[in-house]
Formats: sequence, structure tokens, C-alpha cells
Amino acid sequence: MNKFVVLQVCALVLISGALGGILVFTPVYDEVRSGIVLVLCLSCLKLEPKSITDFTFVTANNQDHPEFVLENLSHGVVFLHYSGDSCAGCDTMYPVIKELFSIDFGKQDMFHTRVTFENSTIGYIYVNIHHTIHELRDAQPIYDKDHFSGIPMFTIVTLGYDNGNVKPKYTTLYGTLTTYGCSTDAERVVFLQELIRESIVMYNQNKAGYPQN
Amino acid sequence: MKLQIKRLISQIILFFSANLGYPGYPGLKTGFCFPFFYCQACPAATSACPIRSLEHSVSQGSFTWRLFLFPLLIIGFLGMLTGRAVCSWACPIGFLQRGTGRIARKVKKLPIARKLGTHKAEKYFRYTKYGLLIGLVFVTSYLIGFIFTDICPVGFLTGTIPVLILNPGKFVPNYFFPVALVIVVLFLVLIFLVERGWCRYFCPVGALLGPFNKISFLHISVNKERCVHCNVCAYECPMGIDVPNMHRDPECILCGKCVIACPEELITFERRGR
Repeated sequence: MNKFVVLQVCALVLISGALGGILVFTPVYDEVRSGIVLVLCLSCLKLEPKSITDFTFVTANNQDHPEFVLENLSHGVVFLHYSGDSCAGCDTMYPVIKELFSIDFGKQDMFHTRVTFENSTIGYIYVNIHHTIHELRDAQPIYDKDHFSGIPMFTIVTLGYDNGNVKPKYTTLYGTLTTYGCSTDAERVVFLQELIRESIVMYNQNKAGYPQN
Repeated sequence: MKLQIKRLISQIILFFSANLGYPGYPGLKTGFCFPFFYCQACPAATSACPIRSLEHSVSQGSFTWRLFLFPLLIIGFLGMLTGRAVCSWACPIGFLQRGTGRIARKVKKLPIARKLGTHKAEKYFRYTKYGLLIGLVFVTSYLIGFIFTDICPVGFLTGTIPVLILNPGKFVPNYFFPVALVIVVLFLVLIFLVERGWCRYFCPVGALLGPFNKISFLHISVNKERCVHCNVCAYECPMGIDVPNMHRDPECILCGKCVIACPEELITFERRGR
């Protein structure tokens, strides 16, 4: 066997070994699947989704609301913010949300806080899809109301009355809200404030029928 | 079975394999990276774009070694075995250019195209893809953001357009859309004017695969001692390579057209050795 073939075989063994090792010993497969394949950066698609802001009881994939949302819902409206790395739309919305709730956090953090919004408690949960845990990442398709599978995505979960039962009711917004007529940060803040006020009214109307922790 | 028919079958099978991710049909979404250029934003895509994973790995001053190595190792593994054959036997964009190649071949006969094609600067222009890979994929992602993704014509063609077709009225263009539209039009003009124009000059995945031609097991071998330099092979080559003088050329996509074209049967596929 000549030297060149030995070199070829060594290179192939090295690459195969490294590929096998990276697949077996690191979470790269899950990272690529959940962070790149399953959830898309909408601004990278060069598109802004059009969706309506109506609240609904039916989850996007017919799964139950996740436990962490139900737990937070017993204290007030829940605001879920799905974001990601290097996503122009996410970068546009990040300061808007910080201003909306007067909070500060890092873009790559896992962040959860309870904020007071006009005398009501809001459970704010920030999920950077590329730096999070399974439980939070897996909740994204549950609230992907219009099946866009994209970020940035904002879900407001409140309470509603449905056939004699008080149940979680939610709406989801996508992108930079330009399709709702918001072209500046100030307009985005006002738009979200109005939607949150609407969800607080619904929450207050129905909270008596929802178990409190 | 004829070689080019085998290649066509391979391209069709791999095109469908890359598109098994449409929800319910059968909805296969894996965590692998494609070894060729295809957008994960395509509603039916099964895997991730390797360029997107590389961009993520160096996103805005960070470095995630897993996301950096993973696509490189997938491409490296196939590159070691078959060199740049992925471009001609598997890549859906290569498949598209196979379709536009006939028109490009007719254009090639025009005097101006012949003049440009044989211009001494042409061979240097091929280094553009390496510049794109380093400059737009790595450097801008590290320093600014995903510039390549924002203007990628392949993403527009295989991601944005199918999403718009499958969701009529559900999206409106954002501010990157007009720029990306102009680039995709230029991309289409290019592949109709120059055979394999994208692979030759701009494909960053081709830039990753190309160097593996130097050491891959499978390669094209030319018997230079017996070659009469009739140049039939060079004329047939969709990558515009000077085949009689080629030795493990990084531009060779192992399509086998020269193998078939050689009247003396002096060009062959080799599985090992220099």
C-alpha cells in the first residue's frame, strides 16, 4: 500500500471517528434539529407573517398546555417570548419587549420574571431557542397557532370561559408586527400594550374559576 | 445502464430524499446537515443547510465548536469518499443547473461567451466562492450577522418561494425581500448563461468540497501519455475544466461527461491512489 492510500485511509478514519464521536457524545444532533431545522428565523425567510390576534382555546398541535405555563397562569397572564440568535426580527423585537415590561436581560439568557403591568401580574418567559432547555423549546409548537414554525414569536396566555369551564386561552403573534401596522418601536409597544390589556380583562373576568396556587 | 442515466436517477432520488420533511408526507425532520446546498426553510426539507450551521457556529462573536465541526465533518466524510461528486450526483441545485445547462451550452457557442469563457481572468474568478465562504459566511456572521442567509439565492429559491406558494396570502415581504429577489434573478440569469455558473463561481458548499478532490478515494484519472489532446472532453466538461491537463482538480464534480466523451477511452473513474 503506498503512502497516499495510507494518508487517505487515515483521513477517512479520523473524519469518521470525529463525526461518530460528535454525534454520540455531544447534543449537536438535537441542537441542529430543534434550533435550525424545526424553528425558522422568519426574517431570514425575507417574509413577515400575517396572522390575526384572536384568542383561541385550541393549541396548535392539540397537546396540553405545558406545566410551566399553567403554573404561571395561576398568578396572572403569561407572556411567552420566543427568540433566537442572529435573527434580525428577534433583534428588532428585543428592545421593544424590554421597554414594554421595563426589564433588562441578556439575549442569550433563559429569563423568567413576574412583572407588574398596570397593577396586574404578568409572568414573562423569554426563550432563546438556541440556548434553552427541552421543556421550553418543546412548548413552541404548542403555541405556534398559525403553523409558521418561526421566530420571533410571542404568545399571550390568559383565561377564557368555554362551555362551563375556565380554560387557558391564548394568541400568538409573529415577526416584527409590521403586518399589524407597526413600523416603529413605539407603535409596537402600544400594540402589545393593547393586546395585554385585553388579555388582562379576560383573565380578571375568569380567574375566579381557575385554581390558584 | 448508461452513466448519465444513473446520475439522473441518483439526482432524482436524492432530491426526494432531501424533501421528506413536509408535515405528514412523511414529516421527517432530522438533525443532520445536508452535504450540499439546500435550505432548511424549505417546508419539505429533511435537514439543515450546512452554511446555516456554520453561520450559527460563529454568530456575532461567539464560537460553538459543535455547530462548526458537524457540517464540516459530514461534508468531509463524503468529500473523502467521493470528492466533489456530491455536486453532480446529489445536489438539487446541481440538478437544476443540469436542466439549464442545455441553454447555457448554446450560449457558450456565441463569440462573446467564448471570449469571456477563455479569458485569462476566468480561472481567478473561480476563487470567488472561497471568498464568499470566508467573507460572507464566516467573517460577517462573526462580526455583524447572517448576511449570507439574508441574500442567499438558494434560500430564496428553495425556502422563500415554496413557503409563499404553500401559504398564499399568509406572508408579506420584509425589507430583505427586494434585495434577495434581485440576487435570485441574477442567479437565474447566471445559470442560464454559464453552464454550472453557480457551482463554478459562487457555491460556498462547493468551496468546502473542492479541496477534498485532492485526496478523495474516487477521482477522475486521465491517461496523459496516450492523450491526443483532441479536447472533446474539455468541450463536454460542464465546469469548463481543461480536462487533458487536469489532475485531481478541485473544480471537477465527477459528472463523468468526459469519461463518456473521450473517443480513446483514456479518462476513467479511479477508486484509489493518486
